[in-house]
Amino acid sequence: MNITEAFQENVIIVSLDGRFDANTSDAVEQFLRVRISESKFQFVLDMANVPYISSAGLRVILAVVKELRRDNKGDLRIANLQKTVAKVFEISGLNNVLGIFKNPDSAIQSFTD
Amino acid sequence: MKVKFWGVRGSIATPLTNIELNDKIKKALELALKAGLNAPWQTPQFIEQLPWYIRKTAGGDTTCVEVETGDNRLIFDAGTGIRPLGLNLMRQEIGKPIEASILLSHTHWDHICGLPFFVPAYIPNNNITIYGTHSKIEDRIRHQQDFEYFPVPLDIMRGIKEFVQLREGESFRIGDIEIDTISLYHPGGCTGYKVSYNGKTIIYATDSEYKELSPEPKPIIDFFRDADLVIFDAQYTMLENIEKEDWGHSSTIIGIDMALKAGVKKLAFTHHEPTYSDEKLWDIFQKAQNYLELQSEKNDLQLYLAYEGLSISL
Ligand SMILES: [Zn+2]
Ligand SMILES: [Zn+2]
Repeated sequence: MNITEAFQENVIIVSLDGRFDANTSDAVEQFLRVRISESKFQFVLDMANVPYISSAGLRVILAVVKELRRDNKGDLRIANLQKTVAKVFEISGLNNVLGIFKNPDSAIQSFTD
Repeated sequence: MKVKFWGVRGSIATPLTNIELNDKIKKALELALKAGLNAPWQTPQFIEQLPWYIRKTAGGDTTCVEVETGDNRLIFDAGTGIRPLGLNLMRQEIGKPIEASILLSHTHWDHICGLPFFVPAYIPNNNITIYGTHSKIEDRIRHQQDFEYFPVPLDIMRGIKEFVQLREGESFRIGDIEIDTISLYHPGGCTGYKVSYNGKTIIYATDSEYKELSPEPKPIIDFFRDADLVIFDAQYTMLENIEKEDWGHSSTIIGIDMALKAGVKKLAFTHHEPTYSDEKLWDIFQKAQNYLELQSEKNDLQLYLAYEGLSISL
């Protein structure tokens, strides 16, 4: 799993590259938690290069979102889901509680709306 | 080995309500009209074809699972499901002494409150042993029947011959069955059991949360490794599971990932949330099937939604 980041105003765009499962979800969580500890609260997770997500990945996303939404600090929004990964979001019901966007730009835009 | 589910509900007994029953009748009748049913002989087949959540109910009794081998009978937990199991044994074994080993996962009410209604335990000829890893296991069960809570004390249940105080992680034998234990993450602790007999293994792992999924929870995956059947706590949806962090339960999706990782052959979801209707349970189960299809191409893992009366032979 490769994790890279870019900044746009107050939003951090985190791009993942690889399978988001039990072997990699720790690294993603660590990465996000470090940024949160630096008082960064607005994230876009670009998942264009994530072909697979398991419960471990879903868990990290939900745990981080729960943390960010506490006291209305911020949010993590999702962009660029591949087809099967989008299906997993649907099956697990995550699509009902997360902000999911076609591309990072619209996800970034949503923070200013 | 033969496994039979007598109670599959978590937390508290949950009888089907009149509203739910009416809803099932209404849906069945609507489908009957649609199907143009017009003669009594058509009904059995019609009922057979109704969706599971209309023609069946998961049931409201709390946790109890029976495992029969050739010579031995194991009973996992003594929730309210142990009451009908006891009545069934009385019918089956008329005149013969009943031998059974009750293995308790822990002593939360939903896992022990059926014991005072387990009729075979009142018959002196019977030979019932109760196992548990929790401290002072006998006292815990005894106090449930203190006079303040129940009119009949434990001492009257003369079919119960022995309490076996297990240590966490202890392995032991009952006849020719090998049993291993593992401690699970649950408020107050919970014990998972692995039954090995005649080359087959069954795991009873209810009341557990798997918070540390990354890296994979190795001891438990090793415990599940190559099991023929894992009976798994899937009380919540994935969303509710995260919402209710540290409540000590799990979900279908986490169960599937763990089962795939461990090479499990059959996975049965149980300890159903009391507020979930049959329709909701069925929906969760369908989604679990979909999830499995997406996660694994070869798909030899078989999923079961546990309901009262479900039998699985291994
Ligand atoms: Zn329970
Ligand atoms: Zn419990």
